[in-house]
Amino acid sequence: MTERFPLFSRCLSVFWVVMVYAFLYIPIIIFFIFSFNNAPFPAPWVGFTLHWYRALVYETDIWVAVGNSLMVAMSAVLLSSCMSIFLVFYAVSRSSKIKGLAAYFYGNLIVPEIVFAVGFLGLLTMLKVPLGFITLVIAHTVLGLGYMVPILYSRYCELDYRLLEAAQDLGATQLQAFFTVTHPLLKPSLLGAALLVFIISFDDFVLAYFCSGTTFQTLPLYILSMLRVGVSPIVNAFSTLLLVLSGILVIIYSSLTIRNRIF
Amino acid sequence: MKDVILRQVSKSYRGEQVLEKINLTIPSGKFFALLGPSGCGKTTILRLIGGFEQVDAGTIFIGDTNITDLPSNQRSVNTVFQNYALFPHLNVFENVAYSLRVRGVDEATIKTRVMQLLKTFGLERRVYASVTELSGGQQQRVALARAIINEPAVLLLDEPLAAMDYRLREKMLVELIELQDSLQTTFLYVTHDPFEALTVADQMAIMNADGEIEQVGTPKEIYEFPVSAFVAKFVGPANILRGKLVLVDETAQVIVPDLGMFPVDIVRQKEENFGWLINDRTVLLSIRPEKILITKRSLEGYAAKLEGIVHSIVYSGRSTEYIVRVGDSFTLRVFEQNEEHIAQEVIDYDDKVYLYWHQKNVVVLER
Amino acid sequence: MNLLKKNVLKKIGDEAMPFALGIPAFLWQILFFYIPLLLVFILSFPTFSWEYFTPFFASEYVSVIVRTVLIALSTAFFCLCIAYPIVYLIVFKGGRFKHMFFLFLLLPFLTTFLLHIYAWMFVLERGGVINVLLQSVGLISEPLHLLNSSFAVIFVMVYCYLPFMILPLYSSLEKFDKRFFEASYDLGATWWQTLWRVLIPLSFPGIRSGFFLVLVPAFGEFAIPELVGGDKKMFVGSIITHYTMGAQTASLGAAFTLLTAFILLIVVVAVYGITVKIFKQ
Repeated sequence: MTERFPLFSRCLSVFWVVMVYAFLYIPIIIFFIFSFNNAPFPAPWVGFTLHWYRALVYETDIWVAVGNSLMVAMSAVLLSSCMSIFLVFYAVSRSSKIKGLAAYFYGNLIVPEIVFAVGFLGLLTMLKVPLGFITLVIAHTVLGLGYMVPILYSRYCELDYRLLEAAQDLGATQLQAFFTVTHPLLKPSLLGAALLVFIISFDDFVLAYFCSGTTFQTLPLYILSMLRVGVSPIVNAFSTLLLVLSGILVIIYSSLTIRNRIF
Repeated sequence: MKDVILRQVSKSYRGEQVLEKINLTIPSGKFFALLGPSGCGKTTILRLIGGFEQVDAGTIFIGDTNITDLPSNQRSVNTVFQNYALFPHLNVFENVAYSLRVRGVDEATIKTRVMQLLKTFGLERRVYASVTELSGGQQQRVALARAIINEPAVLLLDEPLAAMDYRLREKMLVELIELQDSLQTTFLYVTHDPFEALTVADQMAIMNADGEIEQVGTPKEIYEFPVSAFVAKFVGPANILRGKLVLVDETAQVIVPDLGMFPVDIVRQKEENFGWLINDRTVLLSIRPEKILITKRSLEGYAAKLEGIVHSIVYSGRSTEYIVRVGDSFTLRVFEQNEEHIAQEVIDYDDKVYLYWHQKNVVVLER
Repeated sequence: MNLLKKNVLKKIGDEAMPFALGIPAFLWQILFFYIPLLLVFILSFPTFSWEYFTPFFASEYVSVIVRTVLIALSTAFFCLCIAYPIVYLIVFKGGRFKHMFFLFLLLPFLTTFLLHIYAWMFVLERGGVINVLLQSVGLISEPLHLLNSSFAVIFVMVYCYLPFMILPLYSSLEKFDKRFFEASYDLGATWWQTLWRVLIPLSFPGIRSGFFLVLVPAFGEFAIPELVGGDKKMFVGSIITHYTMGAQTASLGAAFTLLTAFILLIVVVAVYGITVKIFKQ
């Protein structure tokens, strides 16, 4: 690095890294600490208690919201994964590559969610479709396609076409070649993109706000309503729990795939 | 004199000792080749001189300047990397001008010097081309131009011709020789290809897989008078025979079991090293395939006369290579230039032939 | 004759099947994306006149739009300034722990980061951590008004949008061939020169992706400004939401959406054009 001031640059680097990670983890630490505080948030420290964690278990609203979010996310991931894979299969079966294929789906990410939400809501109102689980899944699938198709297609284009030629040379039909050669090679990207779509769907509140109606509540909507009213430490407990869970998943994931590249 | 001197240089990677107490002197103004198998540490030496790695122990000097602790951007050393590392976002002109720009040289001087250099390299019509559009040979010339515009004391070349087809390679080798001749800059050329090393080098060093320098000398010295079987076999095909050394007065002979007794010259070995020239010592004989005469005729006056059966023939246009079975368990390679359009003597598979060589064309090796 | 027919049918089937499989994605896209977009357009012009657009040329709306644009640009800029050094350090100095560092950098965003906004409110407010700390140390005598300001909005937005900058930067810098560093040093450049002449130009596509991945959603944001900005109508997104969700005002909502989308497009094209000029890419 900067050869003239190696000590200085090292100190600066460490400082920056520490600052950024601190910045990112401050809210988490706060929630962690105050989830054990024996007083409603945000009061100063009174005493240690697990009361809020116990109350969390009985707080049905939050778990209903979590369940809804999970269902929506999984449906959206499933739908967009299937459609994307089929699309790639179609692209594979053609002898010439359609260069602009993925571009057809770029709009989903380029257009601000709120613009899309307005239009989609307009469509639903015009067709007098009731808002709820299904409409939200449809909206999230659109988002999902916007992520999955470009990722999968670009990864597919990077594949060595000679692998497919070799498979066909050895007698495989298109379908067989796809399932035995293309699909396994795309699987890491597929999993990575699916994970990405899951997270985005789970956390999304713009589309949920517009397209899920009044009765169907996902987790972000629940939190949004809480934020306007006042957060109880139950939510702190929930956030800490979620963090621990995610942390464990991350550690498992990284130890499994430390050698494989996903993107 | 700006010799490059490595003294007691050691380097290890992730626990593995790649180089141990290496001493090497690269004489100023010469085209020096560093030859060795993959993984022997030759690239490590190049990177240590270039400043991309730091030594664990030892010193590196260029002339009187100790560059051991200098970072690479302060050394008067430039490198032509293995796949050229041309900056893809800069065109040919900017790539070559790079080192002048970072030093703050004025625009006018940059333009003159770069254009002049590009002309010398025959790239004047590609001045503003993107480097990714160039052919392999052109890319290499740009990499060279970029490196020498600085007039460095030492130019390092890391297997620069590895990615080329053989005809282009031969052409580039000649260009490199001419370039070094005109610049008189010290060139350090690292390669695993003996042909390249022998062709370009004024002086060369050969390393073995353990990271040791086996021999330093001119190409001719190394090819004709290797110090070990490893060196002999690495720089070209060689027939190696194991036998016992018999010293009687001033003459020496080597007895190879099941093959015979062969008189040898040990004048050079005597000058170098007495240690292993003892009677009854197991030694190795090295005879180069091109120094063996193969014929069906029976002749006299050679140090060796062996009978054998032709096992395989490989015709390669300029030459023919024979593999001949001699005795019960020996196979010798013989190399003959095709001097005549229609050979007077036809040698075919399974023919009985005689192999001959002269005493002065055999080398006795310790190991 | 039958065999020929069978073969022909099979061939058609072979060609039709992948096509049939590919259709759903295209259909979905058209039905549920392109048509809604078209609808926004249509709803804005129900009477083929500009009538639904004119109310928005009033100064209060113009100031909202300007404020949104400036804050979105600042957010993207600060995200870049914060993310680039940290991604650089992780990729080039992280060694074997590169992936771990990266994952832990993104971990906070896996946990419903909406909640974190609340934590920042807690930190930034008058009785909150920062003020308490600064007051106890004696640096200030009165609590700072950090919350309910543009500062708070930018601060929290940067926090929330950082991963959108980190991801493309990481993928771009990861692909960077470290030998370019060596080549640059070999030719005599310092680290700083190498950064500006080699690394940044070559990682520019990633920088640009990240910048737009932050700018566009930040522009449409409405929850953050509402919660920490103090002014319920300070952002484009809040106004769009207000009109679209309200009864009878759908057309106004659509018109404003279209208008602001257009303005965003202009901003994006302008930024793109400027960057092209600077970096000639």
